[in-house]
Amino acid sequence: MTIVQFSPFTSLVEPGFWHSLTDLKIDVLKLADHSVPVTASYTAGRSIVDRETGNEIALGCNVTVGADSFTDKPHIPTHSVLAPGTFKNYNTIEEFKAADKTSLFNELTDEIWESITKGSTEKLSKFLVITFADLKKYKYYYWFAFPAFVAKPAWETDGEWRNASEEFSKENLTAIHMVLHSSPRAFFLVRPSGSTLEVGAVEDFDSFFDEVPAEKRTIAFLDPSALPNNPGWPLRNLLAYLAHRHPSYAASGIRVLAWRDTELSSDGHWKSRFGVVTGSFSVQDTGAKPGTVGWEKNPQGKLGPRVADLAPMMDPTRLADQAV
Amino acid sequence: MHAIQQQYWAVRDYLSPVLKESKFKEDGRITPEEFVAAGDFLTYKFPVWSWEAGEASRTRNFLPTDKQYLITRGVPCLRRATSLAYTDEERLLSIGGGKDEDEWVETHTGRSHAGGPEEVGEIDDIPDADDQDDVTHGMGNLSLNGGKSAEPADIPDIDDIPDMEEEDLEGEDDAAVAAPVKPAASKVIDASSEIEPAKGNLLQVRTYDVLITYDKFYQTPRLWLLGYDENRNPLTPAQIFQDVSADHAFKTVTIEPFLHSSTLQAASVHPCKHASVMKKVIERMNAGLQEEQAKKLGASAPKDKSGKKWPFRKPSGPNAKDQPAGDDEDDGGMRVDFYLVVFLKFIASIVPTIEIDSTTSF
Repeated sequence: MTIVQFSPFTSLVEPGFWHSLTDLKIDVLKLADHSVPVTASYTAGRSIVDRETGNEIALGCNVTVGADSFTDKPHIPTHSVLAPGTFKNYNTIEEFKAADKTSLFNELTDEIWESITKGSTEKLSKFLVITFADLKKYKYYYWFAFPAFVAKPAWETDGEWRNASEEFSKENLTAIHMVLHSSPRAFFLVRPSGSTLEVGAVEDFDSFFDEVPAEKRTIAFLDPSALPNNPGWPLRNLLAYLAHRHPSYAASGIRVLAWRDTELSSDGHWKSRFGVVTGSFSVQDTGAKPGTVGWEKNPQGKLGPRVADLAPMMDPTRLADQAV
Repeated sequence: MHAIQQQYWAVRDYLSPVLKESKFKEDGRITPEEFVAAGDFLTYKFPVWSWEAGEASRTRNFLPTDKQYLITRGVPCLRRATSLAYTDEERLLSIGGGKDEDEWVETHTGRSHAGGPEEVGEIDDIPDADDQDDVTHGMGNLSLNGGKSAEPADIPDIDDIPDMEEEDLEGEDDAAVAAPVKPAASKVIDASSEIEPAKGNLLQVRTYDVLITYDKFYQTPRLWLLGYDENRNPLTPAQIFQDVSADHAFKTVTIEPFLHSSTLQAASVHPCKHASVMKKVIERMNAGLQEEQAKKLGASAPKDKSGKKWPFRKPSGPNAKDQPAGDDEDDGGMRVDFYLVVFLKFIASIVPTIEIDSTTSF
């Protein structure tokens, strides 16, 4: 048995987000520093074959915020799903440093856990971002947190994650692709239906899997990871959800499909992974919120905020210099 | 100076009329309608591309409001163009055959490698080393079961953040870190000892958001780049130039305000040569095609719809609507839908290491 290692979410902030933040700060928030809803998106993990070495290089497990993340109806890039978030900006660097991050984080995890106990998957990937914007210097300090519930004992797999095409036929995978192509889902259920597969919402677990034997039930999620043996971060909370909502199923082994084929590759190669996850993790006894992790590490690999320096791209004097 | 220039460009852009007649075969320029048609085709064939509306205040009225520009996100870039051997570059230019390359390269003879940012090139070594480190390190953490959480084998930070800022960052960080980590420590460390998050995804790969707008003055598409380094920090202009082939950096690629945003600045490939190059490329491709067709003529029917009339797969299956140009243009030659596909191949020669050309499978 191997412990399942999840590939953590990493934040990718488009410059447009900082521009929107600047506008928001100056025109709307001004000196207020209350929490504001924000929306990010993520899509299936991508990898690229290095033309020189032939190695396949996995790209990041990215959550992207962009220019319209503060709007009510953010534009969703193709094949992406939305992740809701909480945004909090501080007026000074001192406040930013002194912020009570633990309580912010706990508030958020309480909220996520509550939504799990209510049976909703909407907030499973909810995140937190705190910022300080040094508008004069075009520098933005920020720190993302992607809360995940810790399973004790940890989830395990009975061996390797396999290519999904070893478990499902091409036709079946194509069927899933067709469904998700028109309406991407972050989490979904898969059951056989005759020779093909059907896709349903995780919330409808009981009715959807009512007459399906356990060995035919498959839980799937849009996987932002591209690493062969590491499913992406969203699975962690999904497993916690299952452990809480459907403990008997969770204990017997969860068939997990890590969906990565948002685009069909021309050579007929499937990228999705499949594995059976087991664990004796149970929250049923108390129903209390499990432990949580999730602050993003900075480029140095430490837990700490990151900084985006946009002066080279925004500062008029520096732009003038390079435009000779 | 630059500001004045930009004002001038803005005025010139405002005054120049919208191209009405199709000119793409004569001189490589396209109308907004053709841009939209080509964009539709591109987004259909290659779903990584999508249309964007941009800021409402910047909407350009000769384009549909929801189809102002095209974007593809997270295009990987494994190496710096400045580290490419020169021969590689010429090979990459081979799309139109030998003669074309010469012409295109010759238009930018002053190929001074000096002036370009030189401190690059070693980035490509890192992924391998790192991967291993991380794997072993991850394992180590697992078995140790505890210890400090994750100090990933100190990556030699050849990274692009100038020293000054790094110090800044450190100073501020340390203060900020200590506070939140300690209280959370019990949980965080516990957790990471049990489930060390996968580390292999520390990428050393730059990614780019690539945008294509329609340039009204030059009547061609125009390419914009927004780059991120391997830590997902935005790239500075100097860093972006590392990914531009030496012939074009600082000459045809500049940082300019992005058309569809009031504040955004992006690196842009200046479109002044696009039309003529596109024309040559198209002509050459057409010529090659006609030869091929002439050869085939005896054997296969000329109106073979699924045939290789053009080196791209035609939309197949239930998508006849995606052939707006109709089949009556059989008189040899590229349909305007393909314009952007070809355009990307040409752009790939300017930014050879950015894997912008997802069309290679065709």
